[in-house]
Amino acid sequence: MSTTQFTGLITALTRQRGVLGCLVVSERDGIVVDADVRAGVDAAAVAALAAALYRRARLCSEAAGLSTVSFLQLESEHGQICAAGRDDLVAVVVAEAGAPVAQLRTVILQSVDSLV
Amino acid sequence: MSDGIRRLSDELARDPSSLVFIQLGEELRRTGQLDLALRVALRGLERHPHDADAHDLLARIHVDRGELTAAFDEWDTVLKLAPDHAGARKGVGYVLFKQGRLAEAERYLSQASAQGGGDPSIATALHMVRRMLHFSDGVGGYVAGASGNGTNGGTPLAEAGRRVEEEARRLFADILGEGEQTALLLDASGLVTAGVYMTEEGRDVAQEVGASLAGIREDAARASEHLGLGAWSSVTFETDVATVAMAPVLDDSLVLVAAARSVPLGLVRRVLQQCARRAGAWLGATS
Repeated sequence: MSTTQFTGLITALTRQRGVLGCLVVSERDGIVVDADVRAGVDAAAVAALAAALYRRARLCSEAAGLSTVSFLQLESEHGQICAAGRDDLVAVVVAEAGAPVAQLRTVILQSVDSLV
Repeated sequence: MSDGIRRLSDELARDPSSLVFIQLGEELRRTGQLDLALRVALRGLERHPHDADAHDLLARIHVDRGELTAAFDEWDTVLKLAPDHAGARKGVGYVLFKQGRLAEAERYLSQASAQGGGDPSIATALHMVRRMLHFSDGVGGYVAGASGNGTNGGTPLAEAGRRVEEEARRLFADILGEGEQTALLLDASGLVTAGVYMTEEGRDVAQEVGASLAGIREDAARASEHLGLGAWSSVTFETDVATVAMAPVLDDSLVLVAAARSVPLGLVRRVLQQCARRAGAWLGATS
């Protein structure tokens, strides 16, 4: 696998317990910029849907006067998505339902500075 | 004249027997051109006297003109022509509600809700009527033992309405306490069903915030479904100034908690769970 400027961020996140994949996506168009996901995870679908959700949250938050979104978590029955963005790029993590969200949140927020 | 109205008018001029008059009348009604809408509906009904949707249109125009009796008669005609017409049941329920006949309104709205295909406006109206029934005897009088005697500043119906409104505003008050957090219950359209959202200046901006944030629900549900994650249970996001958490309640409602960034994330999530349970019980108790 080739190394990119996002390899460090993706490696740091994918080695967390319960993580099924990590992606860097363009918030504007939902396209994968870089990714490392386990077999069975549809990276393109995750990118599109997570970017749409993050974009929606950002726009809604700004419309409600709550400022810019820095971190987002979607919890579902069988898994969760965490995302943090900077400019047009969003780091997205897909994880099992039982993955430690506090740890994931810390790591993803620490990593977001490298999204340039 | 809008492009849509012009197009529909042209279409009707080309074919006066067309049912497009229903769309045209509705567009005119929605844009407040009630006299014109009435003329279009009446002329269309001369050609299509047995069309239920045309009578439904005429009923809605009458409501907008404040002619509740005429509206009731039209919806009554609709139900004779099409007994399962959810719009007419909702309409009859609305007229009965406005007339203070809550028990009858509840019956029609229940039927409309059962066949309305998830129309959130029916669910909201039904919930409101049921809460008002809780505070009244169903026909505008008072339940024995209910606090207040209905003589303070309005009719018993208006008093029941005020009590429902107050109950809704304070639904989460004891959970939230005096902390820097607020909670709202939104219906499927993003309209506030319960709770308040006060600014530092003391202005309630619940409707604006609710309308802005409710759209997240669709994307959360879509992402969960398409990625095979099952039903979504919460969305939490942090901004520079606030933490916002939301969770689905029953079929089509959403509870939302917003807290200052100083409130720990774990506490926000606990408050969200408590508010979701409270909202579910409140809505479920009257469903």
